[in-house]
Amino acid sequence: MIGEHVADTLATEPSAASDDVASSGTATRATRLLGAAALVGVAWLAAFGLGFSPADRDQRESVRILYVHVPSAWLAYLAFVVTAVASGLYLFRRSHALGWDRVAGASAEVGVLFMGITLVSGMLWGRLTWGVFWEWDARLTTTAFLFVTYVGYLAVRGLGGSHQQRARRSAVLALLAVLEIPLVHWSVRLWRSLHQEATVLRPDGDVKMDGLMLFTLFVGIVAFTLMYAWLVVHRQRTLAAEDAADDAGLDRALAARRAEVG
Amino acid sequence: MDLSPRTLPDTAASPTPSRRRWAPIVLVALVLVAGGVIVTQFLRSAVDYYCNVDEIGRRDGCEEHRRLRVQGTVDAGSVHTDGARTAFTISFHGATLPVRYDGQPGGIFEECQPVVVHGELVNGTFEGDRVEVKHSNEYVAENADRLDSGDVSAESGTCSPPA
Repeated sequence: MIGEHVADTLATEPSAASDDVASSGTATRATRLLGAAALVGVAWLAAFGLGFSPADRDQRESVRILYVHVPSAWLAYLAFVVTAVASGLYLFRRSHALGWDRVAGASAEVGVLFMGITLVSGMLWGRLTWGVFWEWDARLTTTAFLFVTYVGYLAVRGLGGSHQQRARRSAVLALLAVLEIPLVHWSVRLWRSLHQEATVLRPDGDVKMDGLMLFTLFVGIVAFTLMYAWLVVHRQRTLAAEDAADDAGLDRALAARRAEVG
Repeated sequence: MDLSPRTLPDTAASPTPSRRRWAPIVLVALVLVAGGVIVTQFLRSAVDYYCNVDEIGRRDGCEEHRRLRVQGTVDAGSVHTDGARTAFTISFHGATLPVRYDGQPGGIFEECQPVVVHGELVNGTFEGDRVEVKHSNEYVAENADRLDSGDVSAESGTCSPPA
């Protein structure tokens, strides 16, 4: 319990944990700035994605779906990698700081959200371009599996027990689950696939994409990254407050029990 | 924070665990089922060989009377729609295959687009029941294409740009 807050660097105020949770919000000056930057980024993306960028020769207007689909897929990867790193920091450091566990949980929640957006936007694009919503193709299948894995990860976090039990179980799972990401990314090379291969993240660096489209994609990545950071910081803080409320409840129950016995 | 040792709980009078959270347990079970379904669907679909047109009859598994997925480019001028049926030919590396499909392909289906057709090869004609339009990993602006599409058709030799 003592070491728990030491590495809890992202929490608003460690001492707020058991004192006045209700009175302190999760926003600080820094997160307000971050939130404003994310909003500007999304507006910028809307302007380029819906306005300035051209329609595609084959896909026509439906190419605009990619400015949501690709950034959300990359951010989901990033979120799950952050979950794995935070889980490793929790598991392999002697302090076993729950702060890292909450960062892992918050990042996974946001990652599941982005992965869901990836799947839905991809299905809409698939119906318009391929003619079908879904195909049990390597990329689609591995992505669906990744999504379901992290829904399972979140369910395991909710199974109960002490905070340390939750952290240990989920950290082990997160370190295993992150190994699926390379499989998802290279699935289009490993198997013959309906899904196209990577355009930007390709080994030979020969990007075959219209310049303005590529720029719009870049805007999408920036906007989604800011949004991700903003969501994770806030979620991590509400998780800290939840844990503190749990601890406070336990302490109250112990005090009541002692009063009863004494 | 109170760090004094906790007194031992009074086991005789201890209440049943106050809250067993069932929702996450049900969710974990559902996740396992969903994972199993995803894997079996993938394996069932992978059973259908994915062949290029020029591999039909040559590559092991790419033969008649079994379900296949065939990839090729729709030949220019080959698409004929007859009510609910669509007939066209697809080519890949010089080999050509006639396809019949019950329905109208969706997506961006048109001449000179690469497609994947699911179905069965019967007497030299591919009877398709699902047509998917493949999209390459190249993205070209709509109005910058005049020269580009000309180049592509000159390269492949079989597909002139749609009129």
